[in-house]
Amino acid sequence: MPAIECYGQKIELDNEGYLVNFDAWTDDVACAIAEREGITELTKDRLEVIRFMRQYYKQYRAFPILSSVCKNIHQPTGCLHEEFIDPLRAWKIAGLPKPGAEVISYLRK
Amino acid sequence: MPPKLPKPEELANVNYKPPKKWWQKGTAEIKEGFWCFGSRPKYLQAVDMPNPREWKPTDEDWKLPDNWREIFLEGMAERLQKYRSFHLFMDICVRCGACADKCHFYLGTGDPKNMPVLRAELLRSVYRKYFTPSGKLLGKIAGARELTPDVLKEIWTYAFQCTECRRCSVFCPYGIDTAEITIIARELLNLLGLNTDWIMGPVANSYRTGNHLGLEPHTIKSNIDFMLDDIETVTGIKVEPSFNRKGAEILFVTPSGDLFGEPGIYTCMGYLMLFHELGLDYTWSTMAAEGGNFGFFTSNDMAKKLAYKIYSEAKRLKVKWILGGECGHMWRVWNQYFDTWHGPADFLEAPVSPITGTRFENAKGSKLVHIAEFTSDLIRHKKLSLDPTRNDHLQVTFHDSCNTARGMGIFEEPRYIINNTCNHFYEMPENTIREKTFCCGSGSGLNAGENMEQRMRGGFPRANAVQYVKERHGVNMLANICAIDRATLKPLMDYWVPGVNVAGVHELLGNALIMKGEKERVIDLRGEPLPGKEGA
Repeated sequence: MPAIECYGQKIELDNEGYLVNFDAWTDDVACAIAEREGITELTKDRLEVIRFMRQYYKQYRAFPILSSVCKNIHQPTGCLHEEFIDPLRAWKIAGLPKPGAEVISYLRK
Repeated sequence: MPPKLPKPEELANVNYKPPKKWWQKGTAEIKEGFWCFGSRPKYLQAVDMPNPREWKPTDEDWKLPDNWREIFLEGMAERLQKYRSFHLFMDICVRCGACADKCHFYLGTGDPKNMPVLRAELLRSVYRKYFTPSGKLLGKIAGARELTPDVLKEIWTYAFQCTECRRCSVFCPYGIDTAEITIIARELLNLLGLNTDWIMGPVANSYRTGNHLGLEPHTIKSNIDFMLDDIETVTGIKVEPSFNRKGAEILFVTPSGDLFGEPGIYTCMGYLMLFHELGLDYTWSTMAAEGGNFGFFTSNDMAKKLAYKIYSEAKRLKVKWILGGECGHMWRVWNQYFDTWHGPADFLEAPVSPITGTRFENAKGSKLVHIAEFTSDLIRHKKLSLDPTRNDHLQVTFHDSCNTARGMGIFEEPRYIINNTCNHFYEMPENTIREKTFCCGSGSGLNAGENMEQRMRGGFPRANAVQYVKERHGVNMLANICAIDRATLKPLMDYWVPGVNVAGVHELLGNALIMKGEKERVIDLRGEPLPGKEGA
């Protein structure tokens, strides 16, 4: 199973790069996953997106409607694609488990 | 990582020259970009399906039970006994080839085993070997084949390279429904645990939560609340639907894709606005928030099991009848199977539109009314105020979904709605619409990411017809009445016909609908400026 190093700690990911332990997530872990995903900087706008996703997941155990993310954090429509190209990348950085295949199919642009 | 998708010009160069190799040998070529991941064990376990284990179609060993051949053949014997149609379809094909070039997968791949006649022959040859005297005695001469591991893999490959769209059956002089052969082939494969992750995930979710996406009741409510907020932004009107309300006249059920995906949510907003405007006495159910039924791509028993929640909820909520949203295979199941599985639904009443008084005679058995019938009836009775100029920026064409078109004959109703909500509507060529419609290429559970080349090839004939109306009429919107279409046609258009967008018919209606007390509309349901309101 792949893992990332974060301040000397070994953080486990699954084979597709999703965080295994939801509670192992911290801002630093997010930075390390982001780097693995090819995103070099977690800007304020990006952090807002992933914090919202995490919060949403805790409450609803689901992937949010894409435009609702942008609306809730007062960013322009399409902010997920703008900031992360693929919304699933934001989801991974937020340390959330892989969504079902049908959910993923609806995220495809 | 999904395999890299070749460029459109490479894919469009289809080679129709058949390979020299004799097809009966049974080759299990599992090509990259043409297969979906095998189901994860947890999904099979969730619904008590056989042989849960980790496996991948490209593995040499599919980890089948030792007696897999017996299981398959016993399953076949049972179904030959149980379904006369299957038995008949195994026997009567004369291999005339009328269906050969009617399949979108054959047209898009040039692979002869995608000719419906040959796809069916993969299973027929096994039938002959074990169930007919000529096949038992004469073997290969009689077109019979042993069920070897390679033959099994070949059947799997092509059973999941058919979208059960039934276009071939329109052209068959014997009326053979090759989709039913695929359906049985998939049932038999399911006895060995050979389904895909993309199908079994929604099946397991549906069993647990009542919907394919696994949305829990509070999440469904939250998603609809988000849409209501957007409707208020667009119209100034606060829409307040009810959930799980006992005693409502109508239960409304739609595919869960409309509660989550774009552009499905805009279609859903159209429903919400319409029902509010009518003051319809209806309710949503958070327990049966799914009209679709991936059990249909698994087995008859699983489809039946997953379907019952809808009648069960209708009974619990004591509604009079059920209105169904825009979906494809949901309607195939509702229209052709519900009554047989669960009928008579005599705890419900024969559906009557409370607005127009129209009795939906065609639905008096099942008590299930299609929203395109419901809405077109409203328009015909002049019960809606519509401003089609709000859709004037759209040059619209309509994709008939295979299941609503060939499965239930819904041809005119969506066109009637479009013609009353849009000023610019253009039909695709005659042999690509209505009962001869071309599939989106991704139905029946093939809408995954790892088989994208297969999907783009399968969708090529449909995309080609869209390209035709784009070039002649500047078409920029592909309307449809199917949730799977709304998810699959957008990537298909982006690949083959960039610049064409995708919308459900009730999104077009929502935009054109003049609601009592609404503010001046300046944006559409997607938040884009309406024609002439760009500076507002």
